[in-house]
Amino acid sequence: MSNLLVELSTAMADAAEKASLSTVMVDARRRMSASGIAFAGDLILTAHHVVERDEGIKITLADGSEVAASLAGRDPGSDLAVLKLERAAADPAEAAVGVKIGQLVLALGRPSRDGFEASLGVISAVGGPVRTPHGSLEKYIRTDAILYPGFSGGPLVNAEGKVAGLNTSGFGPGAVLTIPAEIAWKIGAQLAEHGSITRGYLGIRSQPVEIPPAALKTLAREQKVGLLIISVESGSPADVGGLIVGDILVGFDGQPVADHEDLFARLTGDVVGKSTAVEVLRGGQPSVLQVKTGVRR
Amino acid sequence: MNLSDRFAPALDELLGKICQFMAVIYSGRHGAGAGILAGDGLVLTNAHVVRHNRILRVVLDDDREYDGKLIAQNPEIDLALLRIPKNGYHTAMFSGNLPRPGEIVFAFGHPWGMRNILTAGVLSSVALAKTLKRSVALLRSDLQLAPGNSGGPLLNAAGEVIGLNAMIFGGDQSVAIASTEIRAFLHNAGVPQEIFL
Repeated sequence: MSNLLVELSTAMADAAEKASLSTVMVDARRRMSASGIAFAGDLILTAHHVVERDEGIKITLADGSEVAASLAGRDPGSDLAVLKLERAAADPAEAAVGVKIGQLVLALGRPSRDGFEASLGVISAVGGPVRTPHGSLEKYIRTDAILYPGFSGGPLVNAEGKVAGLNTSGFGPGAVLTIPAEIAWKIGAQLAEHGSITRGYLGIRSQPVEIPPAALKTLAREQKVGLLIISVESGSPADVGGLIVGDILVGFDGQPVADHEDLFARLTGDVVGKSTAVEVLRGGQPSVLQVKTGVRR
Repeated sequence: MNLSDRFAPALDELLGKICQFMAVIYSGRHGAGAGILAGDGLVLTNAHVVRHNRILRVVLDDDREYDGKLIAQNPEIDLALLRIPKNGYHTAMFSGNLPRPGEIVFAFGHPWGMRNILTAGVLSSVALAKTLKRSVALLRSDLQLAPGNSGGPLLNAAGEVIGLNAMIFGGDQSVAIASTEIRAFLHNAGVPQEIFL
């Protein structure tokens, strides 16, 4: 019998099989093994919280072979870690582009040597930035696919077998999130190169305030809230750049900033250590200052 | 033609196929379980649905009631076979192959006593569980099942029985006895093998 149901079923099993080739088992903690995604021949992306040791890490590939790995870098903020294989033996995954709410997805994991496992769901939500226990994530995906024990670090896979993101339950009980592939890949590349993620700082304290109606007109865009600077650390990047108490920070690096999450998410990546445009409202008038962002240690 | 217009007939066909071989099994005061017709006058279910009964009340899809007599059981793999009078009903077709992870699977049964409820999900994995004597092939899926699904079929998208739902863990994972195990059990019970594809 061949009908639409059988076609869909076969397509989902094919997608699972394709993505399973780059889904590995990560043995880096005491009790339960976890999962990982090969994103280069010798690099595995996994969840930071499942890597409890830096040495003696073992990776089991799709063909059942075991390869030793070492920790290349980790970022507790995004709960990501990168492991480097002793030799390039993995089959890199393909990242999906354009994730949409409602799409059918599979969560995959390889919690044991018995093979990979799957669960079905849809993309429930796409959002961000969001604060995490140890930092922030500029974008996230939520799914209703169940993460079974050992699924953390494994992929969320679309119907084509491409990776939409990396699943983790490491942000707290009941807080299952998927880190979108584009972000996981970007952070993974930085971790592989530098071992950690550099985050910037300005040296200000601020609180969200409503922008006064008069100032709203001069700003000429749909933004009702900004960050009122309530103190500037002496000698800090903000101080050197000319920010003063009473300024309302409304933009950073050409993007509007409405709350701490926005600012936190923008203070990563390329802008760190570089002169960056900071847009403020001073006395009701917009003005742009150049601030050389500091590196947060 | 939109997707739901195309899916609805496929699901209707599947449901029509399944209902014909479904049974409800009442085991006294312990509530109801499910069963499937696995040959003329033969009803397959879980050993734990049968419990210690020798005779059970079996209700088929057209609401006809029969006394089902226990003729074979294997508690180790949680399978039991009941005999009812021969009646020429359609019997289930069992898949001869193990399914693949990610495949769409359906469970059909009577969760919490509600009759003929369809539940959909995917196969998580084919697992081997060790029993005292040997290892048994189990199908794990992400279906959310409840008491009353026990003894009911796990089906693939073509409507073939790939397993018999047996154990339900914590609401988010269900375990079925693979059809390969059912085949061996029925063979030992002397049932003809033509129900296997």
